[in-house]
Amino acid sequence: MVGGDVRGFGELEGVVMQHLWAAEGGATVREVYEQMRQDRQIAYTTVLSTIHNLHRKGRLTREREGKAHRYRATASRAEYSATVMREVLSSGGDSEAILSHFVGQMSEEESQRLQELLRRQAGEARA
Amino acid sequence: MSLAVCLLGYGFAVAVFAPDVLLRATHSGCAPRMGIRLWVLAIGSVLVAWIAAVVLAAIDLLLARGDLGQVLAGCVAILHAAVTGAHGTPVQVGLAALAVLVVAGLVVLAARLGGALDRTRRHTHRHADAARLVGRWDHALGAVVVDAPDRLAYAVAGRPHTIVLSRATVDALDEPHLQAVLAHERAHLAGRHHLLLAIIRALAATMPRITLFTAGNRELSRLLEMRADDAAAREHGRRTLAEALLVLSTGSTLPPRALAAAGTAVADRAERLMFPPAPEQVRATRLRLGLAAIALLIGPLLALAQSGLCDAVISI
Repeated sequence: MVGGDVRGFGELEGVVMQHLWAAEGGATVREVYEQMRQDRQIAYTTVLSTIHNLHRKGRLTREREGKAHRYRATASRAEYSATVMREVLSSGGDSEAILSHFVGQMSEEESQRLQELLRRQAGEARA
Repeated sequence: MSLAVCLLGYGFAVAVFAPDVLLRATHSGCAPRMGIRLWVLAIGSVLVAWIAAVVLAAIDLLLARGDLGQVLAGCVAILHAAVTGAHGTPVQVGLAALAVLVVAGLVVLAARLGGALDRTRRHTHRHADAARLVGRWDHALGAVVVDAPDRLAYAVAGRPHTIVLSRATVDALDEPHLQAVLAHERAHLAGRHHLLLAIIRALAATMPRITLFTAGNRELSRLLEMRADDAAAREHGRRTLAEALLVLSTGSTLPPRALAAAGTAVADRAERLMFPPAPEQVRATRLRLGLAAIALLIGPLLALAQSGLCDAVISI
């Protein structure tokens, strides 16, 4: 699975992070692997490289524990959530993330116009 | 004409460099009156330079009775002579300095643009990453579902591209409507709209004085939404998409400003979907746009070719 579907890889990072967030005091690669193995077919090397990636991106810190490392998330899930939500609400300024929203809040006039359109369409459907 | 070119170059250099220099100087507010004079001087000199450039060029053209090639040839000849010292060293040095400033100005603009684009790319990818971490991947939908009180549905480019829905959205829509929304977002990603938006946004941010860029930014956002609407409607039906639009926009707490660049004039889009324009209207619009395209491209090309500009440049 290593080097396979990129989309799958992105999903793996999420799953790994969930485990690390849930683990009090962090976890080693082996511990995460053991947990993930219960839900899916996965190779140890896959878990290892996923955790390495997350560490490289700064999502995890680590400290040596004997021969292995113990990994911890750099920010709590709530903090990540807050960051994501903040960006969702504020995006649109220059050189910030480009999010293609499906739709957002309507102004009062737009709301009225929409009601009008609906009435019109209902009327035409009847005719 | 050569003077007009120099004035243009001067105006450009001031427009690029003066703001930063002046801002640093007047920021502290120590000498406001002088600061005011400096700003007015800078703005005024740019305006005067450009107006003078246009007027001089027009005069030259009139005197040459519209022979653009002759005017430009003369201009190039004079500049050439001045640069090689025929009009004295001060002029030579001045021209060299001006040339350096203009080139430097272009480099600075390019660097600003590049910086803005890079920042946008990094922020966008980072958001995609974070959304994937915070949410749960829904394999059936092919999207990440996040816990949020608002009815969110958006696409964000990244490695890989990601569509984000909030739990509220998934709860509010049934399967056909969800699929329509997803199709709309996938159309954005497939059409690489984020790239186009990133470029035009960077241009509008770097050169906000140029209305073509700022207005273009707004309009492109609007039109890209409509294009994604069309793609989704083809697959899932106009009515379904319009209904999804209505459901998700009621009870949304996203502030209008957040979507300013996304340009979601919801009522416009809904109207378009519910009452599509008549074929004659579409044809008429296409005709208008086609003519505009011809005017943009062919006009200047014909004028230049006809005026023998190419010969003038080659003869140097």
